[in-house]
Amino acid sequence: MTDAETSPSLRAFLDRLDGEGELVRVEQRVSWNLEASAISMRAAETDAAVPLFESVADTGVPGARLVGDPYRGSQRRPWDRVARALGLPPDLDSATFYDAVIDRLKRPLDPITTDPADAPCKEVVRTGNDVDLLSFPWPYIHARDGGRYSNLHTLVAPDPDSSWVDWSAHRTMLHDSRQASVLLLAGEQTPNLYYYKYERREEPMPVAIVVGAEPAVQCTSVMWIPTGSDEARFAGGLKGSPIELVPCETNDLLVPASAELVIEGRVLPGKRLDEGPFGDYFGYIHGPRRSVPALEVDAVTHRRNPIVPFCVEGIGVGHTENTTSSMEVSCVGPDATLGLWAAGFDVVRCVPWRFTPRTVYVVAVDTTEPGALHELANFIFTTWGMLHIDFFVFVDADVDPLDTRAVLEAIARHADPDADFHQFGTETMPKVPLNIYQTPDEKGDVQTGTSKAKTAKAYIDATRDGSEASVQNELTREARERAQSVLAAAGLPEERLTLVDSEESR
Amino acid sequence: MTAPDLRTTVERLEADGDLLRIDDRLGVEEPFAVAGEAARVSGPALCFTDVPGTGRLVSGVRGGPDQTVERSRLPWRRCATALGLDADASYGSLLRVVRKAGTTPSAVEETSLRAERTARDVTALALPVSTPTSPSLVTDGIVSTSVDGRTRWAPVRGVVEGRTALRLSVPERFADAAGDSPVALALGVPTAATLATHLRATGARPWRDREAPAIAAALGASNVAAVDGGQVPADAEVVVEGAATREESPPPDEPARWECTVPTATLSVSATRVSTRPDPLLPCVPLGAPLADDVHVTSVVESVQLSSRVNGYWGVSPVEWVWLPVEAGLGLCLVASELLYAGFEWQLANTLFSFSSSFDKIVILDADSSVENLARALDDMWVKAHPSHDWHFSDPAAPAATAPHYRGDGETGSRLYVNAAWDPQWDEEYIAPRVAFETMYPQEIQEGVRERWESFGFETVESGGGE
Repeated sequence: MTDAETSPSLRAFLDRLDGEGELVRVEQRVSWNLEASAISMRAAETDAAVPLFESVADTGVPGARLVGDPYRGSQRRPWDRVARALGLPPDLDSATFYDAVIDRLKRPLDPITTDPADAPCKEVVRTGNDVDLLSFPWPYIHARDGGRYSNLHTLVAPDPDSSWVDWSAHRTMLHDSRQASVLLLAGEQTPNLYYYKYERREEPMPVAIVVGAEPAVQCTSVMWIPTGSDEARFAGGLKGSPIELVPCETNDLLVPASAELVIEGRVLPGKRLDEGPFGDYFGYIHGPRRSVPALEVDAVTHRRNPIVPFCVEGIGVGHTENTTSSMEVSCVGPDATLGLWAAGFDVVRCVPWRFTPRTVYVVAVDTTEPGALHELANFIFTTWGMLHIDFFVFVDADVDPLDTRAVLEAIARHADPDADFHQFGTETMPKVPLNIYQTPDEKGDVQTGTSKAKTAKAYIDATRDGSEASVQNELTREARERAQSVLAAAGLPEERLTLVDSEESR
Repeated sequence: MTAPDLRTTVERLEADGDLLRIDDRLGVEEPFAVAGEAARVSGPALCFTDVPGTGRLVSGVRGGPDQTVERSRLPWRRCATALGLDADASYGSLLRVVRKAGTTPSAVEETSLRAERTARDVTALALPVSTPTSPSLVTDGIVSTSVDGRTRWAPVRGVVEGRTALRLSVPERFADAAGDSPVALALGVPTAATLATHLRATGARPWRDREAPAIAAALGASNVAAVDGGQVPADAEVVVEGAATREESPPPDEPARWECTVPTATLSVSATRVSTRPDPLLPCVPLGAPLADDVHVTSVVESVQLSSRVNGYWGVSPVEWVWLPVEAGLGLCLVASELLYAGFEWQLANTLFSFSSSFDKIVILDADSSVENLARALDDMWVKAHPSHDWHFSDPAAPAATAPHYRGDGETGSRLYVNAAWDPQWDEEYIAPRVAFETMYPQEIQEGVRERWESFGFETVESGGGE
């Protein structure tokens, strides 16, 4: 396997896509008001190239651009563009891709701090009353949304009691020139810092919202990096070289120097602004409009001709990919696998259900120990971020958890309704309000970002029971590979044959 | 409508780019393995042109792609092609055609058999084997007998046990009816005849009121030929005539999926005559492989019979579609329906459980869900159904389903239905609108994007560009 260089910036990644015919530079003037999003949705639905909108109408920043779903993968191979961004070969099978990402995460690298004069994100600096958030082309993504959003960024926030700084992703709705609302859902790392440290102490939480960060940073931001860990180190590992950080203008935070745009500010204690509704990752517009923590903006720094990336949420379900769903498979999956290994669980791979970001994960296991799956599910459901996830499906080690057909068959034919569906109690477990199966009353008003009504979690043991009837005609790996070689020699395109994992898979 | 015979179907699939010729000589067991892999990866139908014995082997002719991977090619596309329909025929149109065949009077036309009588040696045929040492397999075909002057057909699966001996698994009712009468085994028959045979075997209305040849005629395969054992499709590639006796032990190897849906019995057949068309096409179904032809045929048959039975059951027709996904190996049933009143979902699920023994899991979807978008329907199972309130398990007193691998000991167990439809008691304002191009943007923006698509720099959208 020959690695290329990980793209050192978003625009370098876009140039790479361009060189490989994976980018369309839309020169015609388009509007941020639904049009750019509509084009991006159409591109996702048709598996087309990534659109970079070179000319956006009604922006106050010269040369400001939009890019729709830059990390969206193909419907057959959702990890493809993330692999390109990380300098990995584009034709990797899923298992080899997972192993490559895990291998990099195992080798974190310390970041370095660079001089602001050398930082691209400081090419233009505006502070105080010179800041005008609405001069940037934030997209209006769905016609029923509550406003314009930044939803593909890295939110940088510090723990007030230690040197730990968390990188995460929380969509942000723009209100006026210096205010925005940030969706902080309790149960996740940064929201917990806000609700249970800063706000209780009546202190503002300093934040930086990094828009258009380099790919390794964007990937790290959606991962489940352990609490207390320096995420910049993992991003460096993922990149293969140190991340260059630069100090903010108005607080002590360090941000990736290669970013397109950085919003500096404070999430204020006790202050709320309206947010939503928004077409979210479930594939539905969910409401109602709620009050969420308010961001006061102190400074904006950016590159000249900044590129604002966005994700057309709501389409990354079913057959259609978007950045969220592709990153869930490509980044969160490998990281979750590594996390389970680090916790001492000998799983083969942990991946999201291909067509449903976040709600259900599939874990391939080879354990036969009594109680092991219950123990594993119990551990997973109690870690942070699990308020989004309702189901785990366990499959045998020889089932590719990214092969939805194989997982579906395992559920249908190996999961006994009498013995293999395990619920962790009704109305006992927490849930974020971003769901569509609860009524607005059950979701509550998001005072702490969780639903008012509790929910249930479940795991499905879709592994084969040793007493089950054997399947006589299952082919061995060798027979499958020989059969695939016959099919390839006869003219079947090789990309149709990629569901067979390579020999390098665990 | 005239349904094509098998070789015409193969020609059409090849013209559509949905059939691959494999001209290399392979090991004796390799066509079976290659057919299994092609099915598993949503590959095309295959034709093995150089195989030991008389004839060529074809596989995947009634198969189709995995809908969790393929977006624009539907799993029943080859069945539709084989019935003379458009390959992109919707499930609804396929359903109408098949259902109508249960009620439309159609003349069965007797003509001469196109296969010519050759010898009695069944082992000379290029039948597939699953391993180098296993016997030749009968993986797909129909068996015929004449009872009181009326021809009966049934699905069949079996093995060759000698030059003139076969052991066949058939529906129990067929074996009871055949008694000691002569039977005929027809291989390489039109898909219309196969579907008719399977539909008749379910014993469901409206098809149970007609014999299979009449149903096949209504589906477009009207030509039959008289042989010992009644009538067989005149276009059959191979016909084996002989005498049958009941056997106790079933044929070895993996059963065909239809055997999960009807009680079976075993017949031992002593061949008295073998007839073949020139260079005959013999079916090679990789039994036990995911997405194999037998799974597709059984899925279509079970799905359409359930769709037909469940509507009208309550005096109204609330059900849009019922589908047993081939991807789930027929262990799961999806149903899209209006929920007429509180508790209707319970009635609906249990009615379906009563009418099929294949599955013990059902997902109930809203009536506007698309059977053509399985990935999205499955998404609703996870995100629209409350993990506890909407996942309903019965007491463990239900008979074991036949498609799953567990509880093969005959013990009873539970059934599960997931209610992934909106609660009819909810206020309209609680119902979350679905995100889609057509619902999220004003008409002028939709039209503008479509009209200017190429001018933006994108390639032309050919098809499948939406929900």
